[in-house]
Amino acid sequence: MPATDLLSSQGLRLDGRRPNELRRIRCRLGVFTQPDGSAYLEQGNTKVLAAVYGPHQASKSKLSTEGVVVNCQYSMATFSTGERKNRPRGDRKSQEMSMHLRQALTAAIKTELYPRSQIDIYVEVLQADGGAYCACVNAATLALTEAGVPLRAYVCASSASMAAAGAGSAGPEPLLDVGHVEEAAGGVVLTVAALPTTGHIALLEMSHRLHMDYFDIVLSRAMQGCRDIEVILDRAVRDHLAEGWTKQDVMTI
Amino acid sequence: MTGHVSIRLASERVNHCVATMNEPPRFYTPGEVITGMQDFMRGHGTYTEDDCLKASVAGVMEKVNKLICIRPLKSRYVGEIGDVVVGRVLEVQQRRWKVETNSRLDSVLQLSSVNLPGGELRRRSAEDEQMMRKHLQEGDLISAEVQSVFSDGSLSLHTRSLKYGKLTQGTLVKVYPSLIKRRKNHFHNLPCGVAIIIGNNGYIWISPQNHEGVMEEQKDDDTVDQQSVSRSDRETMARVKNCIAALVASKMMLDDTSIMFAYEESLKYDSVKDLLDPETMLDISFLTQHRINNIMEE
Amino acid sequence: MWTTKTFLTKTKRGNILKIVREHYLRDDLLCGSAACNVCPHKDDEYVLDPKPESICALFDYPHYLVLDTNVVLHQIDVLEEDALTNVIILQTVLEEVKHQNTAIFQRILDVIGNKKRKFYSFVNEHHKDTYVERNPGEKQNDRNDRAIRKAASWYETHLSINNVKGQHPKIVLITDDEKNRKMAQEEGITCCSVKDYVENVNGFVGLVDKLSKNVIPESCSKDALYPAHLTPAEIHSGIRNGKLHQGTFHASRDNFLEGTATVNGYEKSILLQGHIGINRAVDGDLVAIEVFPEEEWRKPSDIVLEDKADDPGDLLEEESVLLNAVKPADNKNEITPTGKVVGIIRRKWRQYCGILLPSKFPGATRHLFTPAEKRIPRVRIETRQSDMLASQRILVALDSWPRNSRYPLGHFVRALGPIGDKDAENEVILLEHDVPHARFSEAVLACLPPNDWTIPPEEIKKRVDLRSICICSVDPPGCTDIDDALHARPTATAGVYEVGVHIADVTHFVRPATALDKEAASRSTTVYLVDKRIDMVPDLLSSNLCSLRGGEERLAFSCVWEIDENANILSTKFHKSVIKSAAAMTYEEAQIAIDDSSRNDEIARSLRTLNKLAKKLKKKRLDNGALLLASPEIRFQVDSETHEPLEVQAKKIMDTNSMVEEFMLLANVSVAQRLAEDFPQCALLRRHPSPPPANFEHFLLAARQQGFEIDVSTNKSFSKSLDEAVIPGRPYFNILLRIMATRCMMQAVYFSSGNHTQEEYYHYGLACPIYTHFTSPIRRYADVLVHRLLAASIGADVTHAELLDVRYAAALCDNLNYRHRQAQYAGRASVALNTHILFKYRVEIESAVVLAVKRNALQVLIPKYGLEGPLYLPSDMFTYNEENHMQICGDVTLKTFDELTVRLSLDSTNLQHRKLVFQLVKPFVPGFSYVPEEQKEKKPEQMEVDKEQENLKKRKDTAQSKGSKKKSKKK
Repeated sequence: MPATDLLSSQGLRLDGRRPNELRRIRCRLGVFTQPDGSAYLEQGNTKVLAAVYGPHQASKSKLSTEGVVVNCQYSMATFSTGERKNRPRGDRKSQEMSMHLRQALTAAIKTELYPRSQIDIYVEVLQADGGAYCACVNAATLALTEAGVPLRAYVCASSASMAAAGAGSAGPEPLLDVGHVEEAAGGVVLTVAALPTTGHIALLEMSHRLHMDYFDIVLSRAMQGCRDIEVILDRAVRDHLAEGWTKQDVMTI
Repeated sequence: MTGHVSIRLASERVNHCVATMNEPPRFYTPGEVITGMQDFMRGHGTYTEDDCLKASVAGVMEKVNKLICIRPLKSRYVGEIGDVVVGRVLEVQQRRWKVETNSRLDSVLQLSSVNLPGGELRRRSAEDEQMMRKHLQEGDLISAEVQSVFSDGSLSLHTRSLKYGKLTQGTLVKVYPSLIKRRKNHFHNLPCGVAIIIGNNGYIWISPQNHEGVMEEQKDDDTVDQQSVSRSDRETMARVKNCIAALVASKMMLDDTSIMFAYEESLKYDSVKDLLDPETMLDISFLTQHRINNIMEE
Repeated sequence: MWTTKTFLTKTKRGNILKIVREHYLRDDLLCGSAACNVCPHKDDEYVLDPKPESICALFDYPHYLVLDTNVVLHQIDVLEEDALTNVIILQTVLEEVKHQNTAIFQRILDVIGNKKRKFYSFVNEHHKDTYVERNPGEKQNDRNDRAIRKAASWYETHLSINNVKGQHPKIVLITDDEKNRKMAQEEGITCCSVKDYVENVNGFVGLVDKLSKNVIPESCSKDALYPAHLTPAEIHSGIRNGKLHQGTFHASRDNFLEGTATVNGYEKSILLQGHIGINRAVDGDLVAIEVFPEEEWRKPSDIVLEDKADDPGDLLEEESVLLNAVKPADNKNEITPTGKVVGIIRRKWRQYCGILLPSKFPGATRHLFTPAEKRIPRVRIETRQSDMLASQRILVALDSWPRNSRYPLGHFVRALGPIGDKDAENEVILLEHDVPHARFSEAVLACLPPNDWTIPPEEIKKRVDLRSICICSVDPPGCTDIDDALHARPTATAGVYEVGVHIADVTHFVRPATALDKEAASRSTTVYLVDKRIDMVPDLLSSNLCSLRGGEERLAFSCVWEIDENANILSTKFHKSVIKSAAAMTYEEAQIAIDDSSRNDEIARSLRTLNKLAKKLKKKRLDNGALLLASPEIRFQVDSETHEPLEVQAKKIMDTNSMVEEFMLLANVSVAQRLAEDFPQCALLRRHPSPPPANFEHFLLAARQQGFEIDVSTNKSFSKSLDEAVIPGRPYFNILLRIMATRCMMQAVYFSSGNHTQEEYYHYGLACPIYTHFTSPIRRYADVLVHRLLAASIGADVTHAELLDVRYAAALCDNLNYRHRQAQYAGRASVALNTHILFKYRVEIESAVVLAVKRNALQVLIPKYGLEGPLYLPSDMFTYNEENHMQICGDVTLKTFDELTVRLSLDSTNLQHRKLVFQLVKPFVPGFSYVPEEQKEKKPEQMEVDKEQENLKKRKDTAQSKGSKKKSKKK
């Protein structure tokens, strides 16, 4: 059901964005030295840290001869939400998010290259302002890239929602990248994790029911968001590479 | 007793880049198409999809004739025969030890690949199996050489030389493998009085130089080398460790020359812990890079 | 550009939360002015003129106006006038208005949307040059004022870029806040107050009248008549710690010094008495109440009191009148909790119709306005057009009620027409009942098919073709919107009939989310006044293309059953169809066809089958406990030329009425069952809650007095005991009993199935477990929705998003129920109006029945006309026996159900509230009863009676008669 009051008569949202604009994204790779790969990503006021360990030897119980085992852990810091969250991980929502993360990332990692190995991905949400899952997927992608884990393509995640016809606008308008205020206003939130280069969708999740009439436009807007995010992530990776590149064949003593 | 704590803002971070090279090479990112033609062979870091060759990691392309590989900035150690590695024993199993070597699968050190105490060459008996733990326990550090690579990529190590074996009395530094180039010799005695072993897998072992070979086989376990290490030696080792950290932060290649240069540059700082300041680290790397460049140009 | 807004709030539990919100600043926002050389406007984005003509004498150069929030909130009427153009409304202002008053927000949006008015909405909160951050310690209001000033000065500099000096429009800031004006002047912005500006506008008469009096109510403490209201903060804390309560204030219609409010925690409503007790609350306001301790509780007065003073100025009269009239309570049951209003939480003021009471002083501009609605107090307005307006019905809006004013202050909005003029009076009824009655807009008419539309062949292919079946419709005479038609014919199996109900297929023309649909949803129902009909859908559809006219092919939605001889349903099916109605008959014609044994054509046979089955269906329903209630239905015969009512008579009920009704009920039930199966969450149904026992108290007492015990435990027992309560020789008694029973009932309401449990679906009056409205889509929007759901259920149409949304459905049901109620009230008001016109010059003597006994009056009903009203009894002659509800005078006892003869006439002294006056003729009470002239001559020894009671307080007639064109289905 489209939520009301999210679009002003001028076509601007509550925080001043237009319906097809992402929030400000800032990211950095290589924030930690100990993990194989790490990244920090901010999407608006949502801030997440991701760390990747691996691939390394899988523990006996989790070993799989077909491909690498991907373990994810999604954790929210106790200070990340408005009211203190007493249990950072292990509760149902975190476990569900971990499973979703796993589903999204496994779609991108070339698992067949590393049988009997295991990749651990840890994601910590430092500040949650809506779209925490999407930010986690994006941050994990960056961390995996930094760790040198072979990926089919970037995995980008984005959310979209539906706003009822604002005063004076043509009809219901899909909103890209919903923040916490817009999520709480009611209205469906569609979360998509996709590989934008190929257009494959890794994960699709919806918070409420959405009528078929609206589904296509909301989905296409979310996919557009994924493509936009991919551009941003790609640039961040390239900047990181340019910064950290060494000439391997320097010393010929 | 008061200590000194230095807390910095992230915005005041120091940029450690000392690359004085001209423009960076062409990078490829995951999912990017390298070439559409079918003539090329796929190497590491690539995959084919829809008749195109695509990159699967973020890195630089290496082309050898028709073989295209993408080498990422950082990855786990991929072993090759003849590499010197430093590893930690994880498990003691039947007739072999599992050794962790910063690669994607644990390496294996067969019982038949080690030098038995006593130095004989004989078949390993059942008794030897029981005595495995006396030789190497879980948690011990060893230096070894890669004997062979199994089909799934895991390594088989051997310590069939006097220079390999259990490591004691020293410090381990972990860096990532791509900073370490394959050389003829990985065991160096630095002029400052420190011996280092640069493992291909990114583990570097620093120990005080011992004029008698420290890795001599010991007859019995009671006389484990327990000589106390002098303070000056420890200081030197710490200084070397910090220099390595400085070089790593600036993503410079590690070998004995660069480490030595870095050590020499760091001498102007008296206190070893000053070397941990980001500006100091940048200074050292910069000067080291400078010296290396000078040598290159000669 | 990205900044954050941080603020702290408190949650309900008292925790402090820090909220951080993002705020993006843009550089692609336009200023909207054609004089601007900087912003990249597209052609249609220029809203403000490059060189606006100045209409104000104070500012003789081209200028744009920038308005303050309070100006928009208080002076919306002035803004809606065409006078002011080229105005900039800032986003800050718009947001604040939205927050404070949604109705005004909607209106200002409409003005902005009207391109001709040249109002531009400028997004100053997100423009990188005009965004203002809150300084620490600065109050939100001050910050907003600062933002407004910044935007004004920005515009000034922005327009001067690349423009020749003096060639670009300037900015004038309009605000009533003195502090703001002072600071603006310091910053170099020209500013002005609303009053000064508007008073200097030339060329627009009447604009000044629309200025609202913006006096801050609580600040005038000298000459204060009323106690001060508490501040919102005090009210909130009072409610939170339980000292104060929140409730809606309902003024009493009879007593202008009394009112009630329903409040959580008390079963009965709280009584509020006296000027001080009511403390400037107006009917409908949300108020904060302090309840007195139990010792001070009183009982509601049962007298009628009216504000008759001509204009006492700003004084409050003695309240002893009221206090004396209420004796200390002797009956504990009658005491209700009493309290007083200490603050207003939210005003619910709308625009009110009424007439002007010109001031006695010639040349005065301050006058009193008397609203038509008795529950609203008089209003003081200022106007210079009092001579012209004195004879008109006018519309007035309320502004404020300061402490030192006896009456609230308001301003004139517009005139509706001469008093007594048909159209003006109808307009008043429609406005007072919030009935949308404007002409259908262009957008709506654009959704209609062309006038010469016929059914396209592809459509016929998609439907079941029933044109060959003999279908006919039965309706009241003069009906043009024919919703339904029936047929019945035997099937191949003996004893089994095929019966079909065909309903006009309105949803084929009214598609979801079109302008036509939105307008119909807003109106929700067709409103029937005596001489006028406000259609829900335009005429082309309601009287032509949708209406199942005789002899014409039409699209329909059919419900076809197979029914056996004993009216058991064997199967049901629904489909969209095409029909050709054989005949559109009236109830009389159909009855004649059935009774005429010489007629044996298909129509007659069909009708007879229907009739037979209908009777069986009815019996079944009654056995189940359905209630047969009566209401005095009357019909007006209207003169075709003058449209004046000629005669009024009670409706006759025939077999055929009942026949149609039965099948409509059956169709509604079948559809309801189908919808509940397929759409358990969002089916639109109708329920009738069982009345609580308290509603029956008076009714049971009255029946007991006549010797009957009515069992109201279930509807079945109720129905049975009603049937048995017959007095031989007084046939009207039973009917009267049923009329009274109707008044104990609750209202039936629409609801969405997701919001109630299955038990709550029950319809008490019809004794059905589930019910809906399906059979009248032309005049009820609820039926349109049911059609859409049913069509989706049978696969003939697709659903759309809003149809299935539970929240939207709940809001829609509320609107449907509200409009339905308002339409009923409007219909009754129209009947009352016409009754008054009818009796203007007539006096009748008729037999009447007593419906209820009050302290100072009897409520009597005249069955012939279905008219009701009070018959006042002077307390010096009649003693009121409270326990038994009787009035006694000498040996004459009057109680409920007694039959009397009364004299009926019209009292026109009060132009707005004409009343029917009843005077007692029989039983004869010397010194009181009216004696007709003839009798006086025959029996001269009887005392002359000619007492026109001077102190008759007038009450508005509350006749429960219905208009002529609506069918008798109130369910």
